[in-house]
Amino acid sequence: MLEAIQLKKTYGDYDALKGLDLKVEPGDIYCLLGANGAGKTTTINLFLNFINPTSGTAKVCGIDVTAQPLETKKLLAYIPEQVMLYGNLTALENLRYFARLGGHDYTQAEYQAFLERCGLQSGAYAQRVRQFSKGMRQKVGVAIALAKQAKALLLDEPTSGLDPKASNEFSELLIQLKGEGASILMATHDLFRAKQTGTRIGIMREGRMMQELGTEDVSHADIERIYLEHMHGDAGRYAA
Amino acid sequence: MLKLIISHEARQIARTGALWAILALLVGAIVFAAWSGGRSINRQVEGAQAAETFEDGLRNHMRKETEDYEAKVIAEGGEYQFASVRHSPGSGPPQGTNAGAVGAETSKYVTLPPTGLAALSVGQSDIQLNYLPVSMATTLDVTKNLELENPVNLATGSFDIAFVVIFLLPIFILAMSYDLLSSEKERGTLAMILAHPISIRELMASKIISRAAVLLTVVLGFGIIALLTVGTGLDTADTWVRFGLWMIATLLYSMFWFALAVLVNVYGKNSASNGTVLAGIWLILVVIVPQLVSMLATTIYPAPSRMELTIAAREAQTEAEKNFMAKLDEYYYDHLEFVPEGDEKAMDFLTLAQANNNSIEKAVRPLYDNFQAQLNKQEELVQRFQYVSPAIMMQLALNEVSGTSANRYEHFLNQVYVFHDDWKEYFGTKFLQRYPLKPADYEDFPAFSYEEEPFTAVMARLMPSLLGMLILFLSVVLVPFLALRNYQVAAR
Ligand SMILES: Nc1ncnc2c1ncn2[C@@H]1O[C@H](COP(=O)(O)OP(=O)(O)OP(=O)(O)O)[C@@H](O)[C@H]1O
Ligand SMILES: [Mg+2]
Repeated sequence: MLEAIQLKKTYGDYDALKGLDLKVEPGDIYCLLGANGAGKTTTINLFLNFINPTSGTAKVCGIDVTAQPLETKKLLAYIPEQVMLYGNLTALENLRYFARLGGHDYTQAEYQAFLERCGLQSGAYAQRVRQFSKGMRQKVGVAIALAKQAKALLLDEPTSGLDPKASNEFSELLIQLKGEGASILMATHDLFRAKQTGTRIGIMREGRMMQELGTEDVSHADIERIYLEHMHGDAGRYAA
Repeated sequence: MLKLIISHEARQIARTGALWAILALLVGAIVFAAWSGGRSINRQVEGAQAAETFEDGLRNHMRKETEDYEAKVIAEGGEYQFASVRHSPGSGPPQGTNAGAVGAETSKYVTLPPTGLAALSVGQSDIQLNYLPVSMATTLDVTKNLELENPVNLATGSFDIAFVVIFLLPIFILAMSYDLLSSEKERGTLAMILAHPISIRELMASKIISRAAVLLTVVLGFGIIALLTVGTGLDTADTWVRFGLWMIATLLYSMFWFALAVLVNVYGKNSASNGTVLAGIWLILVVIVPQLVSMLATTIYPAPSRMELTIAAREAQTEAEKNFMAKLDEYYYDHLEFVPEGDEKAMDFLTLAQANNNSIEKAVRPLYDNFQAQLNKQEELVQRFQYVSPAIMMQLALNEVSGTSANRYEHFLNQVYVFHDDWKEYFGTKFLQRYPLKPADYEDFPAFSYEEEPFTAVMARLMPSLLGMLILFLSVVLVPFLALRNYQVAAR
């Protein structure tokens, strides 16, 4: 479970996050929507303890991330917008290294199974990842997350730039993980996929949660309309 | 967990081509430095031997003549006489009976024996000869082959292993660690790693340990190879103690550069700017500051040049020749007890030469002493200011450890002066007494043997440099260690 309680983050005199409340239950895929600069990445970074909150608390499975960062990181998996790997190591070597960092080790066959499950072509397993396309790297990133057997996933625009097929496979993987009881928080700009894959949607603006929806209750068109309504107020913001 | 990251880092290092290139460069430099240092020391040792053999040959020849002469006197009867220059060559007693001739025309070479590590840090011995000819000539003549130069000139030092350690080893260390953290940041792998249960301190510690292991292997490996190839006296404890100290100094110096790289990584922006900053610091600390300190020393305590000393000697000589009678009187005045009875003042060439030398020595000695005093002050100043740059501390430490420091050389020179006086006293007295040297007297000529300073004296001079480097390291390492507590991964 992921929980944000009155989470605030201030950079200098700029409030990036203005008291965010958020809860992602096991079996939830929570999609964070919002314009660029809304504070989605900031939220995810706070859960990862990459930055310290100005005030408020972020909890993973009930554990405060600032108090016990190493404990909470055992429970988390993270897939950034750009999965970055060691270019001079192969896909398998990268996977193995990160898996072991997470405290797991598997057989070579199991590692290959992870990569296969993420849809990486088998010819690439033993290749150095330096020449990998973004999509291929994302797939290794997903394999790393799988190998970690995390209770909660933090995904920051994980599918941006993936081809539709890969994107689709990714969504299916998420749904599988959801079925296994993971709590998934995903920042995305893809309203369509949010509706399709997500169980809940949160629309953020300027560091605030504007509205939360269950994807069951609304149509694609509704989501788009509500989203744009919230963004609309933005039009005047920089004009002055 | 540490072990995992360390082996990962080791693999990363091993797969960095540039490091292999620098390592190859370092190997090449060390091989060349070992060869050049070894050659420099060999040249000294051989030079000393050749000079000594030559001078001993001259003396042996004289001795041989006195033996023949003695045998002849015994066979034919008569008095064993002193050769004065009035005798025409070929007849009469040989020159070997004349203490003035033996003491002035042959020299005794005195040698500062190199320590086992001398070839590793040639230091002063490149500019200050380790063997000097002691005769009845003036101090200036004895030391005339000394390059009387600024005592601590890093840049003009010879290409020895100390040079490689001081100049090139930091480059290897910086190349290995300038992007310690920044590369992970730029690659984006830092966030990937720190999403795992690893603290940034653990990560840094692993990175440092893996690199330290590489470095230790390199330093120890090269150190031992260098010692085995150009070190001497490997069967003596002294050499190994010195080698241990050499290693300690090298490790302290390396640790400083390491800590500096970590510091810059914690506060730095990207790898490129880290590299620039570190290269700049290297330039300042290794090249510029030592030059400045050395300039400061020579500016505050200027020493007269060798030229000035020579000119002063010439003037004294001309002066002496102008009124040699007065000088002769003065000489006899200094050696009152030997004034010949009656009006038999010796007017021979040797006496005049001695009188001359004496007056030159008197005129030049204050200048020379002042010169040495200035050099000592320069050295003191450098020692006092060594703390501004680890490179200076390191140079002083390595010279000290290798027995090529200015201080040990001074210790040697002081013994040479004493021996020089003994020599002049011995031969001068016998000469004035017109005492004919017998072959047996050749055994009793003053002999020189360098008395090594106590090791505690070496340690006392070494300690400030070592402690200075330790403190510098600790202060540099403490800052990032504390700063890492609040490291913000996503900070921009
Ligand atoms: N280190 C930082 N220093 C100053 N301001 C920052 C910093 N990090 C983020 N911000 C600001 O905080 C705000 C929120 O940024 P954030 O990255 O969370 O947005 P986002 O919702 O992820 O946007 P995007 O859709 O573009 O990824 C932005 O206005 C950004 O400029
Ligand atoms: Mg973002």
